[in-house]
Parts: sequence; C-alpha cells; structure tokens
Amino acid sequence: MGRRLASGRVLAVPAVVFVVALGAFTALGDTAQPASRGEVVAAASLAQKGQAQLQRARESADPANYARAEALLRRALDRDPKNLDATIGMGTLALARHDFREGLRYGKTARRLGRDLARPYTVLVDAQVELGNYQAARRSLQEMMDLRPNLASYARVSYFRELHGDLDGATEAMALAVSAGGQVPENVAYVQTLLGDLEATRGRSGAARRAYETALAQVAGYVPARVGLAELDGASGRLDEAIATYREIVDRLPLPGYVIALGEAELAAGRTASARETFALADVQLRLAAAQGDNIEPLQARFVADHGDPSRAVRLARQTWEAAPSVRSADAMGWALTRAGDPERGLAWARRSLKLGWQEPTVLYHAGMAARAAGERDEAISFLEAALERNPDFSPVRAPKARRALEELR
Amino acid sequence: MKKLSVAAALAAALIAVSLSSGSSHREAPNIMLDPAADNTDTYAFTAPDAPDALTVVANWVPGGNPANGPNFFRFDDRARYYIHIDNTGDGKPDISYRYEFKSTFPSDSYRQGLPGVRSIDDPRLQEKQSYRIVREELEDGEVTRKRTIARDLPVAPSNAGPKTFPDYDQVANQAIRDVGDGKYFAGQRDDAFFIDLGAAFDNVNLRVPPGNLGGGTDTQADTSIQTITMQVPEADVTRDGEPVSGPDADNATVGVWAATERRKLEVTNGRFDNKRARGSWVQVSRLGNILVNELFIPASEKDQFNKTTPATDGERFKRFLLEPEFAKQINNLPEELGVSALDLKAPETDRDDLVDVFLTGIEGLNQIGDDPVAADTLKINMGVPPAQTPNRFGLIGGDRAGFPNGRRLADDATDIYVQLVGGFMKGNKIPAGDGVDQNDKPFLDRFPYQSSPSSGYDQAVGRRVEPPHAPTLPGNDPQVPIGPQVPTPRPPAGPQVP
Repeated sequence: MGRRLASGRVLAVPAVVFVVALGAFTALGDTAQPASRGEVVAAASLAQKGQAQLQRARESADPANYARAEALLRRALDRDPKNLDATIGMGTLALARHDFREGLRYGKTARRLGRDLARPYTVLVDAQVELGNYQAARRSLQEMMDLRPNLASYARVSYFRELHGDLDGATEAMALAVSAGGQVPENVAYVQTLLGDLEATRGRSGAARRAYETALAQVAGYVPARVGLAELDGASGRLDEAIATYREIVDRLPLPGYVIALGEAELAAGRTASARETFALADVQLRLAAAQGDNIEPLQARFVADHGDPSRAVRLARQTWEAAPSVRSADAMGWALTRAGDPERGLAWARRSLKLGWQEPTVLYHAGMAARAAGERDEAISFLEAALERNPDFSPVRAPKARRALEELR
Repeated sequence: MKKLSVAAALAAALIAVSLSSGSSHREAPNIMLDPAADNTDTYAFTAPDAPDALTVVANWVPGGNPANGPNFFRFDDRARYYIHIDNTGDGKPDISYRYEFKSTFPSDSYRQGLPGVRSIDDPRLQEKQSYRIVREELEDGEVTRKRTIARDLPVAPSNAGPKTFPDYDQVANQAIRDVGDGKYFAGQRDDAFFIDLGAAFDNVNLRVPPGNLGGGTDTQADTSIQTITMQVPEADVTRDGEPVSGPDADNATVGVWAATERRKLEVTNGRFDNKRARGSWVQVSRLGNILVNELFIPASEKDQFNKTTPATDGERFKRFLLEPEFAKQINNLPEELGVSALDLKAPETDRDDLVDVFLTGIEGLNQIGDDPVAADTLKINMGVPPAQTPNRFGLIGGDRAGFPNGRRLADDATDIYVQLVGGFMKGNKIPAGDGVDQNDKPFLDRFPYQSSPSSGYDQAVGRRVEPPHAPTLPGNDPQVPIGPQVPTPRPPAGPQVP
C-alpha cells in the first residue's frame, strides 16, 4: 500500500500525512466553495496533529489531551470544513465523551465526505452500536469489512458478534485483529486484552491469562490487561491480590469502572469499611460528572442500583438510556427497576437487553434475579443457569448469589 | 488504607472514558494503518549473477525501527502474501506465488530468543515463523492449477542484537532456500529504499533545492522491512513456458506486482456458522510501480486502488496520470522554495508519456504483447541483459536495464519519478530530486541482494546525510556509480558475546 514515515513507538502517523503535503489531494470530490489550497493543506496538517492527540489521550487518559485534540480539530474544520480526518476526529472525540448522537452526526458526514473509504466507518459503526441501531450497524460494519479487513474492522466485528451471543465468532474475529496487528503497540495491546476478556467471559481462564500477559509484554504496565488479571484473581478467590492490584491502578488512574471493581472486591473479601470508602469515591465521581453535565455510563447506574439508592439508580439509568438506547443501557434500566422494587418492568427491560442474544453472565444474572422477583420461576432458573454455565466464577459477589438463588428456586 | 486522593477522583471524573470490559462502550482503535499488510516496495530485475532468471524482491511492513522489541515485525499468519505475474498483458495474474506464514511461540515466555542463538533451528530462538509457497496458474484471473511447492521454510528472524545473535548473518543465511530450480528467502532485511521522506512529504521541502546536489537525509537509513525474495528460471514465468532468447522475443516481458489479502468476515449469520462466516479473501494492498499509489492516486481513491486488480486501472485511474496533480506541485515549487527565477514547466496535461511508463509499458522496451492494457504492473523485459555500469536513473539515464524496465534496488526511484513527472520523456528535463542518491548500506551481489538488517541494539534510524556534490544533470549521474559503495561510518557495535 505504500510508504510510511518511520513512526515513533507510541504515536502513529495517520495515512493522511502522505497527502497532507500534496494539498490538492485532500479535497475530496465536492467542489462547491472549495477552501483555497493553502487552507486545505493547513487543515490537513492540523487534523493530523489532532488525531495524534487523540491517540495520546487513549494511552494516557489525560483529559488535557482531549481538550488539545478538540482545539486542533476545530481549527482544522474552520480552515476546511470538508477535511475528512478532522471530521472523523471530532466524531471520535464525541464518542469518547459518550455523546453518541453527536458522534453519529459526524460519522454520517464523514461517510459522505469519504465515500469508498473505510475509515469513516470507525465512528459510524461505533455510534450506531451504542445508539442501539443494530441493523444499521450491521450494514455499516459489513461495508467497512468489505472495504478493509484489518485490526480496526475485525475488532468491531468481534464486539458485534459478542453482543449477539456468538462468543466463538467473537473470539475468532478478535484473534484475527490480534494477528493483523497494527502500527501502534497500544492498539495491539488493546485488542489482545479484549481477547483476554472474551476468554474470561467463556470461562477459559488459562487462555485469558495468556492473552493479558501477552498484552503486558506489548506495552509494559498496560492497565486494562492488569485489570483483566486482577479480575481473574478475584474470580479464583485470590481477593487480596486482586485488591492490591486494583488499588495500585486506582491510585494512578481512578476511572469509575476500576474504582467500582476495587470496591466490589473489597466487599467480597469482607472488608466492608474499605469498600464503603471506595464506594464513596465512586459516588463522588458520579456527582461530579452529573454537576458537569457529562454523560454517565450504564455501569455507574448499575453501581448505584447495587450499592446505593435504587430510585436514584432508576433516574440515572434512564439518563443513560436516553443518551444511548443500547442493550447495555437496557440492562442498567432493568436492574435499577428490579432493585427499586418493580421487577415486572425490570424483567421487561432485562429481556430487551438480551434480545440480540447477548451472553454476558452479569446481564443474564440481572435477568434471572428480575424474573425470580417477578415470580417467573422457569425463566429465572433458565437465566441463572445460563450465567453460571457461561462462567461459574463470573463475579466474586454475584456468582454465589446466583447459586443461592438457584438452590432456592429448584 | 491509603486514602484515594480526591484530586485524582476529580481528574478522573472529567474523563468519560473507561477502558475496562463491562464499561459503557468499546473504544476500538481507529488507526487504519496496517503494516503487516502494507506493500512498501516491489523490485524486479535480472541479476548479474543469475542472468537467466527473474529476481523479484517484494517488501512489506514499512519503516521498521529495528529497536522495536518486543514487538518485532513479522508477517501476519492470517493473511496471504502474493507475488503476481502477468505474462499476457491483460493486467490479470497468470502465475501467482502465494506465501502463507505460521508462527510458534513458547507458552511461557515473551522473549524472542535467549542469548546466543547460533542457527535458525536453535531452540534458543523461541519465536519462530515458517512459511509455505503455493504456486498457482490462472486463466483470465481464475485459478486453474495450484501446487504447494515448499513447506515449513524458516523465516529469517528480526535482528534483536549481538547478544541474542552473536553472528546474525550466519542465522539469516540459513533462510536462503533452494526449491526446485528456484531460490527463496523471507524475513527481515535492511530496507533498500532511500528517500528524504521528511522533505518529500513536507510539501517537497527540499533541504538543498533543487535536489540534485546531495544534502538530503535518508529517513529510511537503518530501517528494516520484511521481504519475500524469489529467483526463478525465466521459463517458469513466461507465457509459453520457454526461456527468453533476447529482448525482442515475444515472451520477453512480464508484469510483476505484489499484493496482500485478508479474510473479509461476514459480520454475523444468525446461525453462528463460523466456517461460512469467515467469508472470502479480499485484497487489502498491492504495489507494482513506484509511487503510483502515493503520488498519482488521490486520497479518495486509495482504498479502491488497494482492493482492485491492475486490469481495471485504465478505466479507474488513467485520468490521474494523464493530468497529474504532482506536475502542478512541481510547477509551484520554485515560488514555494523562494527560487522564483526557476521555471520548471512540467507539462500538466496530456501526459500519455506517464501512461506509457507506468501503465502500458514503453513500445520497443517493455510492452507485453502487441496490445497491452493499461495496468499498474512493474514490467520487466527479461531479455535485456544486466547493465555493465548501471546508472541510478535507469532509462532516463540511458540505462535500459533499469526502471521502468523492471526496477533494481539501486535505481533512484524518487529522483526518477520527479524527473519523469517533470516531463523528461517530453523533453522537459529538470534537475530535481530529493538529495539522497543511494542506500545507506551497500547491496549484496548475491541472493537475497538486500543487506542484512541493522540490529535493534545498534541502529541510527534516519541519520544518514548524502554528502554534497556537484550538480547532477537530469538523468545523468557520472558522480555516483551504482555498485559496492563505502557506507557512511556507523556507530560502533555493542559488546560481542563470544
């Protein structure tokens, strides 16, 4: 396919750099009110820098990188509103901020600007999936795959298959992503870790461990892989090790998901005082996000359903559903309603979350518990058995609860 | 318990991203670069030490910084790598060599190798890759016969350094294999390409304009690539299965290009029938002639270019050669470089000469048959003998054994390209280039011709500067002969393991 600049280990230089210099090539087709050649070239250079900042943000989780990226990308679009990579960049940024509708708008614009190109689909597919437009997402994803089978498209096919309950197919697709590799070590470590997560979901802890360790060999200290190993520790009863790892991670990178995982491990280990402090931190994060008008994640709504005020959980879950009507949000809605004492509606939402065939054990567990509370005995047994069959150690807190519930039901 | 800092929590609250599973959404990577599939250069030539054979050097995985452990570059086990031959002139492959790779790793270690690897079979070499070769015959683009001609050939490993490989060449040379009447090699080599990429792609920001005085920096110095290099008797690739009697023989010219394919998955079929959902193979990269994709094909067309076969290049892409954007850029250069007195006059339209060079072949030199289609394949007339004194400008330097009649490792692709688009074949000869005239390492005079790769331990990527010299006239290069050269002094090698 051609020449590449020798890139740094961490940052990749997007393919666009090769046409940055040629200016005229970045004007894609449309000739109504074209930007001047100088503006087109300037925009392309800014877009490239903006995309590099986005990759840095992935690697560092430093919010300043997102702000820098946005500034560069907006300047690029000011110069040349038709710049494809700035449009894709703005879409990526919107998705990272969980503004999926905005992401979809940029994704559609990008596809129009770049017909016959694969890369607009990265944003378009992700937005469609998170907004629950699964039919459209399937079409887009197939178009992306037809244009370009590579790490980015294989990884997306994997996720789509996973949501539909095709775990073998999801694993196969992710293995293709890992094999294809990429320019940037973090990208490879990312898909390697996702492969580990899939193996863990299927209860294959040996394969999961190997995948996480390979990711760590790619990028030393890669946090998502360390989290994966900690989860395996937790699943096999080594809670002290899990807690130690989570704590180290949370000290440096207190993302909500990690904080909640720490708290739940502490709870499972019987360290209720520590767990309470940790949950207090998770709560602070939630309130700060709300105060800033940020979109919260379904896992945060679930956290409140599990450990806080269930009616607040219902409000939060509804927010996530309105922002992103996906099966993930449906699961949060269902669980919040069940915990708030409305298992009939909780069960309806749980069924909705499973409509694609999703086999995530925790989601099946939520559905089982909703069915049980709603008096649907057979359905409850079916869901709970499915969760434990998928992975008997799927959660140090929930798996035992699932087993106890089954005993009582049978 | 150590208190979690509220400041950290505040920072985290600003980040809406959660990277772990069970988070609200995936952030799959968006970078589409695909080094394992990317063709970076294709060469085809008649080697002086094998005058009755066709030698093809096909390189992938561009810009490899040797010090990239533990992520050493390798071929993708799940992709298919091709060298295609068109001997009928229709732009479709008639003979294809397909290479498929398989890696093995130990389950308990992530090290490429333990210290002191002495041979390619050495158990201390933990990360191993092997390959097989399938030779296909095709008619009108469909496979009619195929045969696996070799299995389990070793891939030359990446050169981590002298502690892992006290004598790297000894190991790499064991990857040179004879198969039937042919020779094959796959694995890491020093990148033969030489160019000042930084200047070229910073809007042709030449360090020493107009680029014929040396002074350029070879940004590819010390970088590595993964190569598949093959050398087969002419009769294995000609239309009639006979050797080539001379340059005017009917069967003398073949078109060569390299390509990569990957599986296109079916996103989901409700029955999860995964064997069928694996889908068919799709071409994701191809490369025939130098710089066609990079400098003729616009951004909006690149993915289409990579997916298609050369047979449709006429209808899809010819117009981009007839009116090349790059010619306009050449004409803008003097003003941009502040040398406005210079008027380069590159013709911007009716560039049938470029169509001849890059797509159809040049009549009397390297056309395939009487009525060849316009197809981006590297066309080599195997009846033209190797040059006694090669000129790095190839045909425009008066050397009929060089580009565009095939491409040798030492042909200065960048300078040739700039001068061709500048209008050399239409009589407009401009003394332009990138200021880099040769590779940082000398080429070998024997298979596999590309030099051994720099090691990860002692490398100096992108640091070779071309010594300044008197101006080179367009197409004419008496000052810098091709052949064994004295490389620029290199940093001293690291400690040797006895």
